[in-house]
Amino acid sequence: MLDSTGLFVLNLLASLAPFLIVTVSLNLEYGYAGIPNFGKTLAVAGGAFVAGVIPGRFLAFLFGIGKNLSYIDDNKQIVSAINRQLVTDPVLSIGIIILTLIMAVLIGALLGLLIAYPVARLRTDYLGMTFLAFGQVILVIGNNFPPLVGGTLGVSVPDPFAFVSVYSIFDLLPGEMRNLFVITFMSIVALLVFLFARRLTRSPLGRVLRAIRDDENSALALGKDVQRNRIIIMIFSSAIAALAGALYAMYTANVFSTTYSRTTWTFWPWVMVILGGAANDLGIVSGTFIFVAVRQIISYYREFFEPILPFNIVWLDTLLLGLALLFILIYRPEGLIREKPIKTIKIESLSVEESKKASIKQTSGFREELKKIIETLLKLPKKKETEEI
Amino acid sequence: MKVTNIRKTFGGVTALDGVNMEIDKGKMTMLIGPNGSGKTTLINVVSGFYKPDEGQVLFEGRDITGKAPNEVSRQGLIRTFQVPAPFIKLSVMENLLLASEGNPGESFLRAPLRSRWIKKESEIYNRAGRVLELLNLRLPDQLAGELSGGQLKLLEVGRALMTNARMVALDEPASGLNPTLAHKIFEHLDEIKRDFALTLLIIEHRLDIALQYVDYVYAMANGSVISHGKGEEVMNDPKVIEGYLGGTCT
Repeated sequence: MLDSTGLFVLNLLASLAPFLIVTVSLNLEYGYAGIPNFGKTLAVAGGAFVAGVIPGRFLAFLFGIGKNLSYIDDNKQIVSAINRQLVTDPVLSIGIIILTLIMAVLIGALLGLLIAYPVARLRTDYLGMTFLAFGQVILVIGNNFPPLVGGTLGVSVPDPFAFVSVYSIFDLLPGEMRNLFVITFMSIVALLVFLFARRLTRSPLGRVLRAIRDDENSALALGKDVQRNRIIIMIFSSAIAALAGALYAMYTANVFSTTYSRTTWTFWPWVMVILGGAANDLGIVSGTFIFVAVRQIISYYREFFEPILPFNIVWLDTLLLGLALLFILIYRPEGLIREKPIKTIKIESLSVEESKKASIKQTSGFREELKKIIETLLKLPKKKETEEI
Repeated sequence: MKVTNIRKTFGGVTALDGVNMEIDKGKMTMLIGPNGSGKTTLINVVSGFYKPDEGQVLFEGRDITGKAPNEVSRQGLIRTFQVPAPFIKLSVMENLLLASEGNPGESFLRAPLRSRWIKKESEIYNRAGRVLELLNLRLPDQLAGELSGGQLKLLEVGRALMTNARMVALDEPASGLNPTLAHKIFEHLDEIKRDFALTLLIIEHRLDIALQYVDYVYAMANGSVISHGKGEEVMNDPKVIEGYLGGTCT
């Protein structure tokens, strides 16, 4: 059995992983390309809906279950029949996981393409409002159109991870085995997404995106295809966000459209990105971690907080995070960790002769960045070139 | 470059009224005229930011009329802005690197594959190093948003040099600078013009300084060219004196 520490860590990772994927996606849009996506939930819910719509029906058809039943009305019955068969078939289960994720990515990309249309034509506040509307539309459809994901009652998602519960290591209970496996899987996917996005942005492309964000006209004047870059980043980041939705739906084994609310999957990721620091990889990781950890600590120690609070504890995390957001925006609007110029190549000196001789080294990445951040935090005196022309 | 009969109106205001101009290759051509005479509008039309109502822009024999700004700049015609428009959260070095064309690392498919763009990137890096040296702007890691006005002007010129531009249109490169710095900018431009065989089109009000460097002058007023020729000739043209210099030299 898992002890309380193990459970704490596992639960922390369970929210950290999907949120990290969403913040990475939002960071690509807002941090790098300057697109104010207030409809993040559109792609996330899109991915979750894929997990709610496709694998269940596909497996019911495959196993010949519920031919005379309605998939939505008799959902519990059908899905538990599917699960009984799925648990004995690891190969099919893994196939279903992969298939669901691929479908989610495709649908996410499609939704990205859909919202790329206003992105190409609108700017700033108008664009933000359009996004907000798009995000709301999918939730309204999910909630009021039962054939999709069961309307207000939601649908169960077949559990392709159930086969793991047959095996046991470290004397874990079957349910714990399953959760350990799903959460590890989600975390690995989140890590891969993060590393890929990092690789994508620490390149000349990342530079172009930040330039477009800073000054669109200048970027145009220098021959950069602003429109094309914005559209592609929208498609790419929506595909990533859908991945998070699908993973989360498979982990919770059900889809309620109310789960994918504006607050949870749009505003919270925004707070995480702003808190940590947009356009800084380490920044968004810390923002996401702080946010998720604070919420988790509050929910774990609610007995401790409850007697000393003059209001209901459910408001505590929202209140604290709201306050944190205010303080960040007033005192450190760039976030805890600021955006740094990206060095694709490390050349020590830039005088003509030396730059020719200088060897090209791979940037050492995170360790270096961490060192710099510690340096700035400690405010070590740093020599600054002040040569005036 | 050849501009024929360009007309551009904004609502009821005629900003450009049949402008004809011929700019010689490898020369520094200056565009003068009072405020509102259409100089910047002309640059906007030429660089693709505005579509002209009528007329034609030929660049190296090719018709670039009405093309999008990024297409025009890919043809080798780069412009700078009157108010410097740097990428403020990018370092000076990044601002320069960006300006270079044909970097394979800027494509979505190749960006994650470091080996595909690292060679080109290091070439651009070296070139940027030389440009910084040339402009005497040795602050590669400074954020562009933290530069002084003069340094920003230099950065604008530097960005234009990073491209494979064969022609650069500069909108008041020396405005707001002290005379020494203004001279320096024009010295740089002169040097660059010769080193890179560049064609330069410059809008400038600092006639005292600019006239020493330019090869040819066009004077505009009310949306049309009123005089053109060598610096001296244009300055002594009564129409220019009347329209621009305020008739004080008579």
